[in-house]
Amino acid sequence: MPSKTPSLRVREAVVFALPLASLIVIWQLVASLDLIRILPFPADVGRTLVNLCRPTRGGTPILLAHLGASLFRVGIGFSLAMAVGVPVGLLMGINKHVNDLLHPVLSLLMPVPTLAWVPMLLILWGLGDRTIVAAIFLGGFFSIAYNTAGGVRGIDRDLIRAAYTMGASKWTLFSRVLLPGSMVSVLTGLRLAVGYSWRALVGAEMLAAAGWGLGYLVFAARAFSAANVMFAGLIVIMVAGYLMERYLVGPLEKRTVQRWGVVRA
Amino acid sequence: MRRAGRARSILSSAGSFILPLLLLCAIWELVSRSGLVKPVLLPPPSKVLPRIITLAATPTEGGGSLLLEHVLTSLYRLGLGFCAGGLGGILLGLAMGSNRFVNGYFNPIVSILMPVPGITWTPILVLVLGFGDPTLIAVTFIASFFPVVCNTASGVRSVKKELIWAARVMGAGRASLFLKVFLPSSAPHILAGLKLGLAAGWRTLIAVEMIASALWGLGYMIFDAKEYLRTDTIYAGIIVMAVIYAVMEKAAFGFVEKKTIEKWGVVSEIA
Repeated sequence: MPSKTPSLRVREAVVFALPLASLIVIWQLVASLDLIRILPFPADVGRTLVNLCRPTRGGTPILLAHLGASLFRVGIGFSLAMAVGVPVGLLMGINKHVNDLLHPVLSLLMPVPTLAWVPMLLILWGLGDRTIVAAIFLGGFFSIAYNTAGGVRGIDRDLIRAAYTMGASKWTLFSRVLLPGSMVSVLTGLRLAVGYSWRALVGAEMLAAAGWGLGYLVFAARAFSAANVMFAGLIVIMVAGYLMERYLVGPLEKRTVQRWGVVRA
Repeated sequence: MRRAGRARSILSSAGSFILPLLLLCAIWELVSRSGLVKPVLLPPPSKVLPRIITLAATPTEGGGSLLLEHVLTSLYRLGLGFCAGGLGGILLGLAMGSNRFVNGYFNPIVSILMPVPGITWTPILVLVLGFGDPTLIAVTFIASFFPVVCNTASGVRSVKKELIWAARVMGAGRASLFLKVFLPSSAPHILAGLKLGLAAGWRTLIAVEMIASALWGLGYMIFDAKEYLRTDTIYAGIIVMAVIYAVMEKAAFGFVEKKTIEKWGVVSEIA
């Protein structure tokens, strides 16, 4: 990638921000014409956002506490999904019997909406972090395992034969051929899983959160018809999701597959 | 001869799919009966599968089948939301893919709204539209809209320049360029987007049926069953969801793919 000059960066930012600014203008117009009953003014939502960011008596700003709770849950749930999903996927890719056994099970369970497990989890663990983290785990696990397995199975047979011919041991084959070769697919799975986990988080927090979390913030605000708070929460969810997509998934891809030369930069 | 061979291969592939599931059921039954887990948390398949039939046989007030009513309500909402989302998504995606200015304007908006889980809109829409079908359908619409937009736009953009030039040289007008070049060659992308959109709409709908406490629908059915600790109903609902989605994806999309992109020769075979 050619390095970007500062002026180009500024131009890109403006081109990106302009449509969003126009959206806010439209929002303002719709709100001042009172076309939608509950729609708050952008300025009010902005003020609410600022207020939520002010430190309270407890010390932490409310918004930060909600965000922190959500990120904590997503972090744990996603890490668990990765820690279980990648080994399961690798095992399925390497061993045919494991694959024959697990593939039908996974492909049957994958289309089950993640939140459909929440009622069961609620019976098991009640409201709280455990239920939410488990939902996030289930949200991420399937796409990670599925894509990892597909990645290993999709490796060119010739590469494996070549490595064997050159006397590679099982471990070398694994670490030098199978792992890098499947990495593109593993990362696809992880990338999808970030999205699914984030989705599962917000939904699960609406159903199972006790007190904290962005999903809970938006959901609880409905009870008070506090449209300002709902929109503020929505904006935070939006920005956090976008930043995660852009700065977590993108760089990960650059560090691994692009450096190993599996895909062109 | 060939037909017999084909039948056998279908049979064996069905067997290799069903056998592990039978094994899973057997393990599930054993674990459940062994008393390792509380029976209420993991009812055995021999209780869950009959529960599906019981639910199907339970009459509603109108005289229909309870399970069928839940299923049809969910499918009705999904149908409306997904059709609107798919259609809107294709139109905006085509516009974004073929026009640079449209793309410049909508790309930032789409890319910032896309990571927002559809469920997030539920509380807001409840305030505007109230509890009930309009909210559920609107959220399903939002969820299925974005994947379709993205895939359609990138599909149109990935059409080979040579194809466009060739069509132009041979005197194709705008309309025929669009109908004969853009649409067929971006069709695989559009269909992939529709598939993702259907999946997103389905997931979101089930969630919203729980959150917005609709009185019907599969999501409501399992969430309500939780109140009475009817775990057999929950598992039955999950199985029904899995089967419905598999049928939708395999039967409906398989058919559409065969009639469009495979017939047009854009792709040789759908994996």
